[in-house]
Amino acid sequence: MGDGKQTRDEEFQSFMVGRWPRLMRTAFLLTGEQHAAEDLVQSTLEQVYTAWRRVGAADDPEAYVRRVMINVHARKHRRRLREFLAPKDDSGLVREVADTGDRIAQADDRSALLKALAQLPARQREAVVLRYWEDLTETQAAEAMGCSVGTVKSSAAKGIAKLRAIPVLAETVTQERRK
Amino acid sequence: MTGDREQQNMTQTDIAHLLADAADEVEIGIAPVQAVIQAGRRRRRARRWAVAAATAAVLAGSTGATLALAGLPGGDRQTGVAAGPSTPQARHVYRPQRTPLGTGTDRGSDWRVELTVWGAPRDRAEAAGQLTAMRKFGFTKTVLPPGPDGLVNRTSYYASLYLGDDRKPRVLLFDNLEKWDRMSGRDVSFGALPLAKEGVTGSGRLAVGRVAGTAQQVKCTWKKDESTVDLPVAAAGSPDRWFLCLAPEGESVKAAEVIQ
Repeated sequence: MGDGKQTRDEEFQSFMVGRWPRLMRTAFLLTGEQHAAEDLVQSTLEQVYTAWRRVGAADDPEAYVRRVMINVHARKHRRRLREFLAPKDDSGLVREVADTGDRIAQADDRSALLKALAQLPARQREAVVLRYWEDLTETQAAEAMGCSVGTVKSSAAKGIAKLRAIPVLAETVTQERRK
Repeated sequence: MTGDREQQNMTQTDIAHLLADAADEVEIGIAPVQAVIQAGRRRRRARRWAVAAATAAVLAGSTGATLALAGLPGGDRQTGVAAGPSTPQARHVYRPQRTPLGTGTDRGSDWRVELTVWGAPRDRAEAAGQLTAMRKFGFTKTVLPPGPDGLVNRTSYYASLYLGDDRKPRVLLFDNLEKWDRMSGRDVSFGALPLAKEGVTGSGRLAVGRVAGTAQQVKCTWKKDESTVDLPVAAAGSPDRWFLCLAPEGESVKAAEVIQ
């Protein structure tokens, strides 16, 4: 029994180390903040660990992890999302150099996107991140979000529409297309 | 139309690209494997055993009190809450089934430990009635859910200590279960707590726990070569047997094992 437990721990460790970077990136897009992302991933993995015997043997442990992460995010971060993502420096100076194509401009693109995401309701944000960052199908995203495919479709569409409507992002997207 | 769709697809592709770019901004760092595993273990224990808030403070301190779980069964051996009789009274929703687990005298004061098992309420109204009954029984809010919803379809058990003439129970261990995770073989689950009133800290000399229905003897050890053996008893409403051990004053029960 002790050996079995040790084996399971080793399997979990291997899974966690392998998935950590990807989970951190997804969590960062969901929360918009470094520490909140770390917190989200850790909380998710703690829950995954408690069910690892079942999860590790499942055909698609990734799907379970995504589902847990979305649930944890919904509970822990939904209400505080805007606070996490509130712009710390809105001086406008960065926008002046946005079309130079250098590192600063890239940072501004990211900042614009994160700010734009912050303005989305959590459900729309989750749908956008799962569909366009995690590259999940609508069915997979619905499974992760615990909702219908229709809800994913409408949430993602509304989210994308709102992102497109934000001038800074629209400008950024246009520039991206011109490159 | 085709143009609109193309533009939309282009925009979505661009957004996917920007998302990937933004995601790269996060600092990945080293995966805190040990911290996650330890927290996961704590979470698993907490889920299986809810310990009274006051007791938890003792367990978390350095008084020597312990909560130990060994060989707990997995979900595949769970047994459901029996459908049982139809009336809440017959299901012991408002009056629990009571089983004495042990009695004694310590420093001139009588003590006894009793297990109560409360039947699962089937709806919110029954649960509200049960919550009221539990409060009247003497359970404080630290061991009760904030509202009746936490009791619906859940069997509750409480192992409580009564000291002297005090009719108010000090809850040692409790849980609200959707299903009993029934013990088997040499599985042991126990808590070791002070033989004292609520809020008084001390060594974890009083061990209460449950074992499989087939277990005949449980050995509790507090030091090398210093132990006692208890004969676990069946408890009304519980599929498992329960045992109780008392270590000498100043000692803490460190281990419990089924020896027969």
